[in-house]
Amino acid sequence: MPSEQDLSADVVIVGSGVAGSSIANELARAGISVIVLEAGPRVDRQHFVDNFRNLENKPSYQGPFPCVPWAEHPPNQITPNKYLHTTGPDAEAYQQVYLRMMGGTTWHWAGCAWRYLPSDFELKTRYGQGRDWALKYDDLEPFYYQAEVMMGVCGPDPAVEDLGSPRRQPYPMDALPISYAAEQFRNLIREKTPYRVVHEPQARNTRPYDNRPTCEGHNNCMPICPIGAMYNGSYSVYHAEAAGAKFVPNAVVYRIERDSANKRVTAVHYYDPDKGSHRVTGKYFVIAAHCIETAKLMLYSADEQSPDGIANSSGHVGRNMMDHTGVQVTFISGDKALWPGRGPLETNVIDNFRDGDWRNERGAYLVHMVDDNQVDLATALAISKGYVGRELEEQIRYLASHTVRLFSHNEGLADPDNRLTLSATYKDALGIPHPEVYYKLPEYTVKSCDHTRGLFKDLIGLMHGTDEQWTPGYFPQDHPAGSTIMGTDPKDSVVDGFCRTHDHENLFIASSSVFSSVGTGNITLTVAALALRVADTLKKELTHA
Amino acid sequence: MAADQPSFPTSIHLSTPNAIRMNRALRMSRRDMLLGAMGAAAVVLGAGRGIAATPEAEDTVAPLFLALSHRLTDRDALDARISSALYARIVKATPARRDQIQKLHDLMAGGKFDSARELAKAAEHADPVFKDVIHDIMTAWYRGVADEKVVVYRSALMFDITKDAIYPKTYAAGGPFYWTQTPPEVAVPTGEPALSPSKFVVEPT
Repeated sequence: MPSEQDLSADVVIVGSGVAGSSIANELARAGISVIVLEAGPRVDRQHFVDNFRNLENKPSYQGPFPCVPWAEHPPNQITPNKYLHTTGPDAEAYQQVYLRMMGGTTWHWAGCAWRYLPSDFELKTRYGQGRDWALKYDDLEPFYYQAEVMMGVCGPDPAVEDLGSPRRQPYPMDALPISYAAEQFRNLIREKTPYRVVHEPQARNTRPYDNRPTCEGHNNCMPICPIGAMYNGSYSVYHAEAAGAKFVPNAVVYRIERDSANKRVTAVHYYDPDKGSHRVTGKYFVIAAHCIETAKLMLYSADEQSPDGIANSSGHVGRNMMDHTGVQVTFISGDKALWPGRGPLETNVIDNFRDGDWRNERGAYLVHMVDDNQVDLATALAISKGYVGRELEEQIRYLASHTVRLFSHNEGLADPDNRLTLSATYKDALGIPHPEVYYKLPEYTVKSCDHTRGLFKDLIGLMHGTDEQWTPGYFPQDHPAGSTIMGTDPKDSVVDGFCRTHDHENLFIASSSVFSSVGTGNITLTVAALALRVADTLKKELTHA
Repeated sequence: MAADQPSFPTSIHLSTPNAIRMNRALRMSRRDMLLGAMGAAAVVLGAGRGIAATPEAEDTVAPLFLALSHRLTDRDALDARISSALYARIVKATPARRDQIQKLHDLMAGGKFDSARELAKAAEHADPVFKDVIHDIMTAWYRGVADEKVVVYRSALMFDITKDAIYPKTYAAGGPFYWTQTPPEVAVPTGEPALSPSKFVVEPT
């Protein structure tokens, strides 16, 4: 724990995930002093790996990451939840999981590093739906590339496989060779449908990169890559620390202090685990605390100057909650053995439904054929069917080699009624309220999911599938966005195109919380690109100052 | 301000998920953890050398569990140490299993069963509770899980019977891009189940 004395830096960042740590790294390398306050603890990779191996419910991505009482996070995706309290007609569909610990939630992402499509930034203009961003794809393109270099992203040659997001440079690493299972799936889609399967761009090493090894295919990207072949936020933490940035774990920011004019943030206050309070001053402040925790902090910081919360003159803090709420099915293929689970978890995608004229009435989506080791599931299933001994072993081999899992990311839409508030009932050990989210799936997303179900049924038929197990209702994808939405008009948005809050000139937000639309690709690369753009702005302003 | 607040050990995150599950209040003490570790060590030592005076080490049903396991897996070779650990965990979770395992062994000893299937079928016919006992035994050996705890991971039989095709997660050893190679084909199974089917519930995540 730091001493009781005030801490101070040029830039104070709340949150040490990919957004906060990458900004810290950029600024520290430019000679700017940085303090990063992380609510959760610092834990090393091997401990998470041990936890995973000892976990009975292996698909539980939160399982290896128990939280601490002063920085709770959702323990699972079960409703009712012990931390993220969801309500509304689609409460179960918004059961997001994330981590509060040094390095952030990318401890258990799958490395999927999509750029958004140019159209994703102009949904309103092009399709009359949702909202436009206050920036264009071209504004972000250089930062997308910077993020790809920072993480180490492998991807296909655009001349061979154009993913729809124009590139000025090739991917830093060659595309990952897809597995035998994915190759069979790709052949089927090519031969039997009008669609295509593409290489998913991934923050995963196809050669040694950034002092990290080549991927060995442990098939455990989620919940934990055992060897660090996949990028996660902890690497940006280590780089930033090497450059001189200071990271403070177990520092739970609970208040954002402003000047008397309420125009500039002057300090943030944090609790240590014993609820000792500390004040940290700076010239600039960045909230990079994940979509849900960022909005929670800004609402909890309400005071006489800002009774509705910080940066909330628009009333939009906590609103417009989005996700890639999707559809999931598992079935047994009747075709040749696939043996999914050899190699990384997510490597291939059907991308035909990421964009099209139909987006004026239904949301876009993409489809993953998840390359997940199914041996444990197959074993549990075969036992439940009543097999024992030799016949059980035959079944395990067959089911493990023929199980197919498909899921989709379906496009959400900004709806102010889908809203995060502070729980009036539940508080953590420090007395800070838990987050509560009301969620009703937009009709736009419902139509998209209906379309996906139709596609999945066709694919099950093409693979002569049996034993379909549909995830009931909708499938939360843990890609929350929108809680401090970006826009040009301060009356209906929280931040501008540079992620600067409209209300406070030295307060920035680096998170998916600023997304104005959510597109279909996994959100992390866009979070990183926006964060690096924040770092660029801060460097310019601090250097000129 | 700090005085009236609870103080949490900052190493609390080092508890394992299983330990956390056993103590959802997150109040596990160092003493608890030490006792847990000592208990586990005693079971292993007791099984291997017969020196620790734990109930598990003296349990006369433990060898019967191993004998039953040979029949119910159709396998001649099973690891006796793993057997002891699985048995101890099953009985700890459900003490009635000790007696049930004894009776199931009696049933096996009193007849001629040439396969796991024959024994399992006869057992469920004799007493429906044996179906649950057999499920526990299958889950223990094949998934390495008893009482919802991982007793063994890599040594679970499910990985033994798939090792020509796939690695346990986090233990891949095929080298970069091994996954592009063609895995073995698997014929459609022809064997019948022995027990009546149970509802399959995917564990919520």
